[in-house]
Amino acid sequence: MRSALPALLLLPYLAAASDDSACGACHSQQASHFRATPMAHAAETVATCDILKNHPDLQFQEGSYHTQIKREGDRSIITVTRGTETFTVPILWALGQGKAGQTYVFQYDGAMYESRVSFYNTPAALDVTIGDIGTKPQTIVEAAGRRLEPPDAASCVGCHTNGGVSGAMLHVESVVPGVGCQSCHGQVERHANAVRAGNVAAAKLPHLGDLGPEDMAELCGRCHRTWAQVALTGMRGPNTVRFQPYRLTNSKCYDVEDKRIRCTACHDPHGQIETNLASYDSKCTACHSTVLNAKVCSVARDNCVSCHMPKIDLPGAHHKFTDHQIRIARAGEPCPN
Amino acid sequence: MRVSGRALARFAGLVLSIAGTAWCQEASEADTVLRHAIQLHQSGDIAAAISEYRHYLDHVPDNVMARSNLGAALAHAGHFEEAIVEYRKALEMQPGNLPVRLNLALAYYKASDISQAVAELERVLEQGRDRQPVLLLADCYLRLGENKKVIDLLSPLQQATPDDKTMDYLLGTALIRDGQAAPGQLLVDRILRDGDSAEGRLLMGESRLLASDFAGALEEFKKSLAINPQLPGVNGYYGVALAHAGDVPGAEASFRKELASNPNDYSANFQLGKLLKVDENYSESRRCFQRALGLRPHDPAARYQLALLDLEDGQAEQARAKLESLIRENPRNVEAHVSLATVYYRLKRKSDGNQQRAIVLQLNAEKQAAVSGGMAR
Repeated sequence: MRSALPALLLLPYLAAASDDSACGACHSQQASHFRATPMAHAAETVATCDILKNHPDLQFQEGSYHTQIKREGDRSIITVTRGTETFTVPILWALGQGKAGQTYVFQYDGAMYESRVSFYNTPAALDVTIGDIGTKPQTIVEAAGRRLEPPDAASCVGCHTNGGVSGAMLHVESVVPGVGCQSCHGQVERHANAVRAGNVAAAKLPHLGDLGPEDMAELCGRCHRTWAQVALTGMRGPNTVRFQPYRLTNSKCYDVEDKRIRCTACHDPHGQIETNLASYDSKCTACHSTVLNAKVCSVARDNCVSCHMPKIDLPGAHHKFTDHQIRIARAGEPCPN
Repeated sequence: MRVSGRALARFAGLVLSIAGTAWCQEASEADTVLRHAIQLHQSGDIAAAISEYRHYLDHVPDNVMARSNLGAALAHAGHFEEAIVEYRKALEMQPGNLPVRLNLALAYYKASDISQAVAELERVLEQGRDRQPVLLLADCYLRLGENKKVIDLLSPLQQATPDDKTMDYLLGTALIRDGQAAPGQLLVDRILRDGDSAEGRLLMGESRLLASDFAGALEEFKKSLAINPQLPGVNGYYGVALAHAGDVPGAEASFRKELASNPNDYSANFQLGKLLKVDENYSESRRCFQRALGLRPHDPAARYQLALLDLEDGQAEQARAKLESLIRENPRNVEAHVSLATVYYRLKRKSDGNQQRAIVLQLNAEKQAAVSGGMAR
């Protein structure tokens, strides 16, 4: 058995840092794998943001408003102009890695704002942020961004970062960009302190690997949206393909009691997203097998998800989202709700 | 407007004076006891007065006025449940005694049994539409969230009494809460016409809150508080605006301040319950929702929150019963269907859970079709 002593000795120093290095002292494999994932980089500081560094002068014209995001040293500045009017504000954080899009957050007049324009990877350019499509800015500040009410700011930034939200409020000074261990595992500080004190009972954290499909969908859905959250908004149609737990739980094969259909059946929460579609086949055949007397596909034996989880092109998103509502998708059929 | 202790005392005084003239003429020993009780009552020695009234009533149990006076003294001392018993006994002997029935309604009101207060006030108003019971009934309706009943009750009277600011305030509140912003605003303007007032600012704030202008609402509530920090409801609404502004500790403090002076405020109880639920303080949250439900006994929102607390506490069967009851009353209650699906899954009733989810999807589809249809027309 590996000794925990070196890690325990390191903990007092590492725990003082507000990132996840304290966790890595014991859980090195998970921590190092996780650091390379897009989730760990769900938010970046402006100084370290590659997209902003590599695109030092982004511009976008929307009606009479002209938006520019310009690099100045380690900062990036949003400037919106209309005629003689100008609004300038530095970006605070970049949310998202740009695979689908990257949206920016800034502070103005004591409130947090979500930028009205986002960077989209496919055209490598700015366009209107997906949530703002169909709206028209009434003022130059609105053309720069949408004011987030404090609970919305806490929920929005809280999902892309860790350590910054307590009591449903965002505390900018303690935000650590990116999803971290505590985002899913909860009270890691209490755990670390208990480990340090040798208190095994108090060190116990919920074992997330034991969660069933429903609880897992609830956990992942806290950021990726749960079935209930989406259902209560009344949202339907292709727009919901962005919300994977909702779509998955709408699948005909979803079973609240069968762990073979939970989120982590296909996705390693500490690892990179698998892009080789064939690698998911074994997840499908875990159920759909003649050995198990279950339905099997009459068309193909491999690359199941390429047909049964089609990519949906969401208008304005410049990105095709994998539809997690597993189904027999027929050509020409509209995206189901 | 809320009915104050002074109003209660005025009614008690009215009854006392009647009792005084009616009973001081007798020279018996019992009358001496009664006279003494009344003197004690009028001098403010309520505990001694209660004792003397009881002593008198042991010998003369069918004296309606003495029993009513005892009720008034008990209510004055805050023993509303006992006061209700005495008023009820008095009314058994004289069902048509309107002052006693009004006092009974006031005791129910003070005891937070608003529904019973309404029942008694409606009986009082069958005999005539005096201003005081009308306004008290309107206030009760407001507390029960029955805004339309307030509008129906006060609208015909308000035109005849255009300078009655209390009536304007009650009617304005009901109109704004009913979503009738324009006529509500007219009444607010009338209240503010003769100078700034806490009531006017409170109404302006409520109006802005309904329009999701949270920053504007916050400013109005601040002004209202600056004028009259004791105005019933103002701390509760200020708390709502603070919560929207992200100041959760401030909101909690504000709700608690409201409840310290006005424990029967439905909104403050309900909103504090929600904050405490987020904080995972489930036991205190439950108490708040139960108080809110006590104030509005059939309130679906409070019942729904209690069902969610049952779910959090692992009491899935209790949650199921509450949610099923909500759905029986309103089969289109999407929130209840959503939560009932979760409850069924916890109870290992998979097909029932799936059925609930299918209902939600169907309801959402119907809602979307109705919106699209409306837009097409």
